[in-house]
Amino acid sequence: MTSPPREPAGDGPEERDSGLARERTALSWTRTAISFAALGGVVLKQNVITGLIILAIAPVVWQLGRVSRGPAPGAADQLPGRSVVGATRLFVIAVSIVAVALLCLVVAILGRSAPGALR
Amino acid sequence: MSWSQRLAALLPGAVERDAGGTEPDPRFTFANERTFLAWSRTALALVVAGLGIVQLLPPFPGVPAGRHLLGVPLIALGAVLAIVAYTEWVRNQRALRRGEPLPRSVMPLVLAATITGMAIISGIVLLVSALR
Repeated sequence: MTSPPREPAGDGPEERDSGLARERTALSWTRTAISFAALGGVVLKQNVITGLIILAIAPVVWQLGRVSRGPAPGAADQLPGRSVVGATRLFVIAVSIVAVALLCLVVAILGRSAPGALR
Repeated sequence: MSWSQRLAALLPGAVERDAGGTEPDPRFTFANERTFLAWSRTALALVVAGLGIVQLLPPFPGVPAGRHLLGVPLIALGAVLAIVAYTEWVRNQRALRRGEPLPRSVMPLVLAATITGMAIISGIVLLVSALR
């Protein structure tokens, strides 16, 4: 089965320039990295080592989003072998979240709590 | 297709080797990637919420395990959501490459069912706690 022919570009800014999609995706990667950092900050208060491990993931995530900020596919300055989206990058994110959730489970079950902090 | 074959097909190497179809419009590829990232942030938010409930809420009088009852499932759901988000991304990307209709996502149903379940459990824990 062949893919349907691409529709002609419309008048909207998104149709004229896929760079906006690239920019939104890059911002989405940044927000995800910030989410990791925020979670690391929360865990840091309960368990320093676990918190630091999660905090260290944040710059890695930000760096993984680098490909989304790269040159357009087919551009002359595109690095050879680099695809727009790599399954490995997203797989790393999914595995990181599972690992972080497991660490947080251990902290939640075994760690010292500060009951009443939200009283 | 057996479960082991299905799992193997989700590994990044298998996904990148699967060159069936043609490269889709980059806008669709980016949109698929953003959807995955949005679900990832939702998963992280669930983990934070679960940890906050267990570590920061005051104990429920009469329900000693109440905080764990509410927090631990949320953290576990965060892990599940991350895995399902990745599998959905793989399925969507394959459909985009082959020009097929996008498969229906189970994620909203899973999230809605879990939030409803957690709301019911929270209500029961609060009720039991208030009656003691």
